Amino acid sequence: MTAAFSVHGLCKRYDAFALQDITLELPEGSIMGLVGVNGAGKTTLLRLLTGLAAADAGSVVVHGLRLPEQQVEAKRSIGFASEDMRLYRKMSLDWHMRFIAQIYPTWDADYAAALLRRFDLRSSQAVGEYSHGQRVKALLLLSLARRPRLLLLDEPTTGLDPVARVEVLEALAEVLRDERRSVLFSSHNTHDIEQLADSIAFLHGGRLVAHADKERFFDQWRRLLGLGPVGLKLEGFPEIASIRAAGSQVEIKVRSWQADLPARLSKEGVEVQRIDPMTLEDIFVTSVRAGGQL
Amino acid sequence: MGVARRFIEIALMSDARIHAFDHLRALAMLLGVAFHVGLAYSPLMQSFWLTADRRTWVGFDVVLWFLHLLRMPLFFLVAGFFTAWLDERRGMGGLARQRVRRILVPLVVFWPLTHVAMTRMTVLAAREVEHPSQVLSFLREWLLRDDAPMTLPSLGHLWFLYYLLLFSVLFWVGRCLDFGAVLRRWMALGAPLVAATLPFLILPGFALTSAPHPAPESYFPQLWALLVYGPFFALGVGLHGRLDFFEPLRPWLLPATFVCLGCYALFYHSLGSGQAEAPWATAALQAVIAAWGTLCCLMLGLRLLARPSSKLRFVGASAYWTYLAHLPLVFAIQYVLLDRDWPLIVKFTLTTLVTLALCFASYALLVRCTPLRRFVG
Amino acid sequence: MKLECNLPVIRLLVQKDWQLFQKQLAAYVLAAFVALTLLGLAKPWSFYLGSLLLIVILVAVACFAISTSLLVERKEQTLAFVMSLPVSPLDFTLAKLAGNLLTFGVPFVVILGGTLAVILGTPLPNGLVVLAVLVFGHVLLAYSASLAVAMHVESEGWNTFVMIASMVLINPFLMAIGQIEEIAGPTQGDVIVWSSAALMILGAQVLLSVVAIVFVAWRHGRRAAFY
Repeated sequence: MTAAFSVHGLCKRYDAFALQDITLELPEGSIMGLVGVNGAGKTTLLRLLTGLAAADAGSVVVHGLRLPEQQVEAKRSIGFASEDMRLYRKMSLDWHMRFIAQIYPTWDADYAAALLRRFDLRSSQAVGEYSHGQRVKALLLLSLARRPRLLLLDEPTTGLDPVARVEVLEALAEVLRDERRSVLFSSHNTHDIEQLADSIAFLHGGRLVAHADKERFFDQWRRLLGLGPVGLKLEGFPEIASIRAAGSQVEIKVRSWQADLPARLSKEGVEVQRIDPMTLEDIFVTSVRAGGQL
Repeated sequence: MGVARRFIEIALMSDARIHAFDHLRALAMLLGVAFHVGLAYSPLMQSFWLTADRRTWVGFDVVLWFLHLLRMPLFFLVAGFFTAWLDERRGMGGLARQRVRRILVPLVVFWPLTHVAMTRMTVLAAREVEHPSQVLSFLREWLLRDDAPMTLPSLGHLWFLYYLLLFSVLFWVGRCLDFGAVLRRWMALGAPLVAATLPFLILPGFALTSAPHPAPESYFPQLWALLVYGPFFALGVGLHGRLDFFEPLRPWLLPATFVCLGCYALFYHSLGSGQAEAPWATAALQAVIAAWGTLCCLMLGLRLLARPSSKLRFVGASAYWTYLAHLPLVFAIQYVLLDRDWPLIVKFTLTTLVTLALCFASYALLVRCTPLRRFVG
Repeated sequence: MKLECNLPVIRLLVQKDWQLFQKQLAAYVLAAFVALTLLGLAKPWSFYLGSLLLIVILVAVACFAISTSLLVERKEQTLAFVMSLPVSPLDFTLAKLAGNLLTFGVPFVVILGGTLAVILGTPLPNGLVVLAVLVFGHVLLAYSASLAVAMHVESEGWNTFVMIASMVLINPFLMAIGQIEEIAGPTQGDVIVWSSAALMILGAQVLLSVVAIVFVAWRHGRRAAFY
């Protein structure tokens, strides 16, 4: 399977932050969620993937084109929308659409019209008069209607009301009906990623902590509830990411679940009463609290 | 079917009305040729015009100064209409390209040619003519002086191209800054009130200049000319898409013509023997004649000239070229005729006909079927 | 890195800036129209007022072009939108330079030409030509310096400072050249005297302007990426 993008040994250093040794690949036709706290390096990684920033070390290849050297050709097939991207306030969405259509021969006017209706946007209105949600939808429309092969979205659902969020997510899901199109999107909202992504990449402190299929995360992580002695110490259990105790009640979160764990815990005096799968948000928060280890 | 036929009828009617506008523009330009020829025989212009003849006739003054008040206002009204028409059809970019091709390029090319031709002819005439005009005599003495300072060449009769460019720029400015709203509010007053207020709008312009008003030949925009011709241009813009706007005033055509003629009688009487600063009363008379006279011409034109005709088409197509090229020819012929003791009417007719014949012939030979047509055809 | 540029996109970017700022430009054109009409009144007061207004417009257009196309775009975060399009840093730099030079260059050349025509075609002493050209040379240098700083430095404070300071320096500049006898002396006469001092100042103004613009274009054009 060909890669929509592949990065290898990527490093980018700023004064107060450094993205270090990222190696990552997105197969064509799949959707990857990029999860990380603020300052984890998500925006920097996306900028490197669009050729806006040049890496200090490592390589970035999008659709077989090296970045940033071949960014002009690469950007013809990339749709990029980020949270810090603004449209021209005084101009209408119509004007923006005409502008983009002149640049991209792949611009699909019918699809743009359909998205206008779906997002309920008034295209003659000045973009400056749009709400945050409308602005995000307008940006997304401008990215989607050029029919990019790779869609890079930085926090597309942040700050959206629930209805707008669903509309945006549905539009993204629709993009993936075409098997040659790929999406990488970053978000704080792990529910969205859980809903859409095929694979998930965790960034923390400028490093890629983990990258795997979504299901693998869910298979590996478990939340165990049980009873145990006060002041319980569980050294020798490297798979445990966190332990919380309230009286004799114990909550244990496990990063690589093995079926023999309850028996091993029992030897330490912990009687496991319940084993639950974890949500992505729970996995994310737990791993961040555990110092970024997955 | 009926609806389609009606639609085609309306489209044809609009097309015919646009022909009327085109013919009016041609008429305004060709009247300019007659006007410039006639100035040589105007008693009022004896001291000012280079080709002023020994023989003059007051009848020329009566006709010429009346035409003078209508010709260019009508021209700028039609120009405003076509500016808005072009903007609608081709957009601002198309309009800008058309203005560069049809106005800026002819101005830049014709101005030096006209200037050199007129200067050479005039210097030759000042030396050779036995019966020079007053200005030519003055020039003859001037040329004999060694320390005669140079004068800055003016735009001459091509000033109208310069003002067309200025008004086109103002049209763009107005579109960007939404001055159209002001124009729409004015037009919303309805035909009677627009006709009633038009003289007030152009009155300050007439008051700022002498009477009869000169040609604004300076390179700097002349405030009086902007104030006089600007409202006509704006009215032309406003008329785009509503050619029937002045239709309700049709019953007033004859009374308005009489009012104009009456005002002109008073104006002509006030002219006296030469040009003078226009007091407000004189300016008001000019404003009424120019405003209402132009509207009468417009209404008559829409009634009488809205028919396609092969002859009119040729005249209409060649009018621009004719107007650009005519003045050096008029001067060349009139310098020769200064020493001929022929009847005035013969001189006038001969100059006009020969000039027009040469212009039409050169149009047919040099412009009509050549790339020049794109610029001056 | 090969210095290839993408002309159709550059044209579109310049066109985009033109569409974005044409309303403000139209206001300046209207003001220039008023200034020219004042000159056309041919009265001493209107002549001085018109000339002053023209210089103010020239300076304002220079600052306006820089601030709207570069600083405002940066401030309003529309830059990210443009950079995400299939353009290289070289395309972007050339589009900004072309747009700015056009916005400034056209009124600059027109007003310079008009000023020289007025001096040469009216009773004003022709010797003023040298002084006028040096004043325009200063405006060109101030503009080039402001443009170079705006393209190179992100700080709004520094940009505003350079724009205002360089234009305000026209006063001390005028006073300084007024002290140079070989420049100030012939301004009252009818002969245009290009003294060595005048030529050196003009040469320095043009050279520094070109160096500033070329340096910025070169620095930005050869960058591989925007950040």
